[in-house]
Amino acid sequence: MTLERRATALDPANDPVVLEILWGRLITILDEVDAATVRTAFSTVLAEGRDFACILLDEKARALAQGTFSTTAFVVTLPEAAKELLRAFPPSSLRPGDVLATNDAWLGAGHLDDFSFLSPVFKNRRLVGYVGTVAHLTDVGGRLDYFDSRDALEEGIRIPPCRLFREGRPDRTIFEILGANVRAPSLVLGDIEAIAATHQLGASRLSQLLDEYDLDDLVSVSEAILTRSAASMESAIAQIPDGVYTGSVTCDGRGVPVTLQATVTIAGSRLSVDLAGPPQTTRAPINVVWNLTFADTVFALKCALLPETRNNEGLYWPISAWAAEGSILNCTFPVAVQARTCTCTHTHQTIFLALGQVIPERVQAGSSASWPVEFRGRDQDGDRFAIHFFCHGGKGATPAADGLGATAFPYNSSHGSIEIYENTAAILVHKKEYRRDSGGPGRRRGGVGQEIVISTRSSEPVFARPKPDKIRFPAVGMAGGLPGARGVFSVNDDSPELPLSYDLMPGDVVTLELPGGGGFGSPLEREPSEVLSDVLDGLVSREAARESYGVVIDESGHLDEEETRRRRSLPPANSPASVQHP
Amino acid sequence: MNDRYRLGIDIGGTFTDFALFDADTGAIFRHKQLTSPVDPSESALAGARRICEVAGVDLGQVGFVAHGTTLVANAILERKGARTALVTTAGFRDVLEIGHENRYDIYDLNLKRAQPLVPRRLRFEIKERLDLNGIPIVELGADEIRRCVADLASSDVGAVAICLLHSFRNSNHEVLLASEIRDQLPTVAVSLSSDVSPEIREYERMSTTCANAYVQPLVSRYVETLEREFVDRRGERRLFLMLSEGGLTSSDVVRQFPIRLIESGPAAGVLYAGLVGKAAGVNDLVAFDMGGTTAKACLVRNGRPRKTTTLEVARTRRLKKGSGLPIRVPSVELIEIGTGGGSIAKVDRMGLIRVGPESAGADPGPACYGREGKAPTVTDANLVLGYLNADYFLGGRLRLDSVAAERAIDDAICKVIDLSLLDAADGIYRIASEEMASAIRVHLAEVGADPRNCTLVAFGGAGPLHASYVARVLQMQGFICPPRPGVASAIGLLGAPISFDVSRSVLAKLGTVDLVTIASVLDELESQARAHLISSGVANNSITIESSLDMRYHGQFYEVTVPVPRELPLERDTLRDAFVREYEMLYRHRHDEMEVQLVTCRLRAAGATPSTGQLTSAEAPTPPISGSRTRPAYSREWGGKIDVSVYERSELPMGTVVEGPALIEEPESTTLIEPAYRGRIDELGNIRVDRRAQ
Repeated sequence: MTLERRATALDPANDPVVLEILWGRLITILDEVDAATVRTAFSTVLAEGRDFACILLDEKARALAQGTFSTTAFVVTLPEAAKELLRAFPPSSLRPGDVLATNDAWLGAGHLDDFSFLSPVFKNRRLVGYVGTVAHLTDVGGRLDYFDSRDALEEGIRIPPCRLFREGRPDRTIFEILGANVRAPSLVLGDIEAIAATHQLGASRLSQLLDEYDLDDLVSVSEAILTRSAASMESAIAQIPDGVYTGSVTCDGRGVPVTLQATVTIAGSRLSVDLAGPPQTTRAPINVVWNLTFADTVFALKCALLPETRNNEGLYWPISAWAAEGSILNCTFPVAVQARTCTCTHTHQTIFLALGQVIPERVQAGSSASWPVEFRGRDQDGDRFAIHFFCHGGKGATPAADGLGATAFPYNSSHGSIEIYENTAAILVHKKEYRRDSGGPGRRRGGVGQEIVISTRSSEPVFARPKPDKIRFPAVGMAGGLPGARGVFSVNDDSPELPLSYDLMPGDVVTLELPGGGGFGSPLEREPSEVLSDVLDGLVSREAARESYGVVIDESGHLDEEETRRRRSLPPANSPASVQHP
Repeated sequence: MNDRYRLGIDIGGTFTDFALFDADTGAIFRHKQLTSPVDPSESALAGARRICEVAGVDLGQVGFVAHGTTLVANAILERKGARTALVTTAGFRDVLEIGHENRYDIYDLNLKRAQPLVPRRLRFEIKERLDLNGIPIVELGADEIRRCVADLASSDVGAVAICLLHSFRNSNHEVLLASEIRDQLPTVAVSLSSDVSPEIREYERMSTTCANAYVQPLVSRYVETLEREFVDRRGERRLFLMLSEGGLTSSDVVRQFPIRLIESGPAAGVLYAGLVGKAAGVNDLVAFDMGGTTAKACLVRNGRPRKTTTLEVARTRRLKKGSGLPIRVPSVELIEIGTGGGSIAKVDRMGLIRVGPESAGADPGPACYGREGKAPTVTDANLVLGYLNADYFLGGRLRLDSVAAERAIDDAICKVIDLSLLDAADGIYRIASEEMASAIRVHLAEVGADPRNCTLVAFGGAGPLHASYVARVLQMQGFICPPRPGVASAIGLLGAPISFDVSRSVLAKLGTVDLVTIASVLDELESQARAHLISSGVANNSITIESSLDMRYHGQFYEVTVPVPRELPLERDTLRDAFVREYEMLYRHRHDEMEVQLVTCRLRAAGATPSTGQLTSAEAPTPPISGSRTRPAYSREWGGKIDVSVYERSELPMGTVVEGPALIEEPESTTLIEPAYRGRIDELGNIRVDRRAQ
């Protein structure tokens, strides 16, 4: 009996204790990589916006574990990108310290800004797995006015699968080409170097772990994690009554609205999603590559079916999904894709609506949107700046909870600090406040959106590119809940339905009124005390309390119980819930 | 001040611990009693009288009372603070609630955020605005101030937090507003963000300032009550409180910055671990405190606990980063590594055993407590494995129910997956221990420390039972269980210096900044910190100063704290080199072409550290009364059930060597020594455990 080595005589794969311990260890390795990325990155996108994911893959490039805070879509697209990278650079050609990379939209996460990085991990000179990162980098060149791009080639520099680092040494040619083609080379190259260093950290942690447990590889651990996860998804699916369920959502698109539809078929322990019916790709850059559509689909299913389970590829084995090639959800090269979030952030809701027909207690009403705004220019010192200002509307309500105000969904980007933004870019934020009456009324209220007002502090023009959404079609309510308020984007007094990009002059004012989330259940069933509390907090106006919720509150802020009972008992035709608000 | 007698009082949620030190004889008296739930100062006073009685000392003879308390942390957790208002720059009152807009759990559709301490209806706005350099863009007008004060007057609040944008650069507007509020509303406590946490990032600063205001009335009342009692015969005040950063301060400072008590009790525990390490000649150690509801760890290097300024309190989900309220005050860096002996075990959908984060806490407690708790916990597993003595838990005050523990594990684990009772209990023990080890491992990695150079110092009721496993899997030097682990914090209080930490954000490029301005910020910080110490009765010439700068590559968003000796002139190249060294150690790479930015100046002033030579010494050992017994205990790693020697700690004389496997019992705790390890009772009364030479 030795305690030096902790390998047990048993196969870890069949030991519920050892497997649990190893699985937990794998995740802590990724959390360490994640923390190092945030702490050493140079861009607002990574350090403040957290628009990246860290993933561990097994020797077959299957995703085994991810950092706790990873961006949801990336953890599904990375293994796909990894398989393509390994097609170009077979595992037998890899050495410690190598970093493979590509930003090809079709191989990776759907637009050039998202780079997929992959580094091999070795034990006794044998390849045992990979550490991977998908990260949104600050710039990839291409048109600043990307809504005008006609094809993907206008959208920036495309790096096909390449060996960015060879045994720890950067390929200077690629770095120079990249640096020469992007607008903020120090941020882009600084972030890449930071990520490469975090991969070496992850690789050394993984090999330490294998040493400690006297494991030659991850094969049996990986097999056990993936097959157990698959089995658990199968049993979660099997608990839903067999049937065919459909949901559809209409979103703003660019000029022409886009309707997405999902048909979810449950048959025993299998689940399939048919995304037939989306329109053909458009000339607007809102097309979505298949990798990302699949990621958005399985994300929604995981939230509804197995939210607490640690994510990995095995969970998705019992799930199949399909969208017609050449459609907006499965576009083909070289259509433009840069603003794909205008489309893909709606995919999850079609699934929630479909599942809402059979398991309404497990889904969520429509969430609003993320409206990242890019600002570029020169500050008072003449230094260039480029930032992504992330901000979000309200999250949808669920049967159990009101939607959170101003919260990212489905992706998980972050808003940083106004003081930091103002120290980084020549902008001035005048207001950042909840938007009253923007949360969709419901038994559970949708999350409220927010209003943000920004001007510039440069004597030169500052380039600003907003990406608003849900200006025409709001976040949907469910089960009798009402939609959230639509968003409004304005520059000075102009509120275009199709915002482009702007050269902001001193004195120009940008106003973002972000949409609210959808409500869940009839607003007439909301507890009057909850409505009162919202009114006292100024999140709901007295008028809206009366019109949408049938709750009457007098001027001094007291609940009029009798009048409330009367209004709430009106026959349905006149019932307040039929009044669309706002 | 009469320095012969020093009294340490640590108030926890359940127990209040006391330690009385007689500098002349070196004797330490200890006492423990239940905390009065309604007014903890009652039990503090009663216990103080009691311990003095035992020691034959008059309470009035005690010249120095050092106090640690969980009062502030509990008030925030249980929402028992004052009705508090916030005043902030017009347009930004929701910053406090919106935070960073992200989700701490990406798949949970029902996730809840921690409610801010100030509801929206009490968040007031005022027209004023500073730019990033602190220069007013919108001046603060007298009319605005009047209107704001009127709003506050009609809102019936006990406390007000003021947090204006960029006020860490220029506090004028905050000061102006505060003085008017104090004039008009003299009974209302006022906290300024430029005082409480003058650092960049408005959300964290605002949250911290609100928390400070929220507990201010409560803490003021509490401190006054205690102080009335602890005034010596000459009317001199001698009450000092332990700050989160690990130093003592006067009650005046605490009244101003009560939020700095947030980790008061735990910080004292870490100091105790540091004292133990120092006395035992250990440089680098990890303090490991595991109780019934939490497990915490802190790295201590060369006797200094690692510090942080980023805390999170009142998490809505246990152990989940981002689910609580951010607090930015200097503190020892205690990382939460688990939920203690009360952590609940279950089988998840994958057929794997999971432990925590749900906890049965102290109430209902583990199944073996024989109360309402039916779920199996880590403590239940420890009992089933034979590590705990059912008749000697809390010195026999609580008889543990082995049958209930077995039934709980059988129901929740063995009936679901194919495991024997003992293997299931062993699984719970190992998974809980591994998770704590993992959390320590990640933390040490993040701060660039190597566990192989560290010794684990374990205390708290459950720490010594898991220390052997944790130290082994982290390949640490070994572990130490100091005597009387249950009153660790009270003793730690006695060895703490009077000190104060201050900081201010500066944001400037190292290449172009006028270093004279940085030097003058450090000068101001120093005189500020000295003033605090002097008002606490510290002689100016006994104060030592340590300063550091938070730096980063220009364009990054997170900083590295770099010590900058105060006595050396600030010099660009030296500062850059020091930063790059630190950065490279942490992140293994460097960017030679990048500019370096200064972000925040930090400074700590400390009085002399009380002599601690005797603090950790043992009472005279009593000769062994009985030989060792044995008890069967199980571990799969030992190959099954084996007979383990059992000792009563108080019966082990100095120098005794105990070969593992062994269990050493004492009323508050049990120490497990694994096979292949050897324990020794050192001259200080510690159990020191090291790997046996092969």
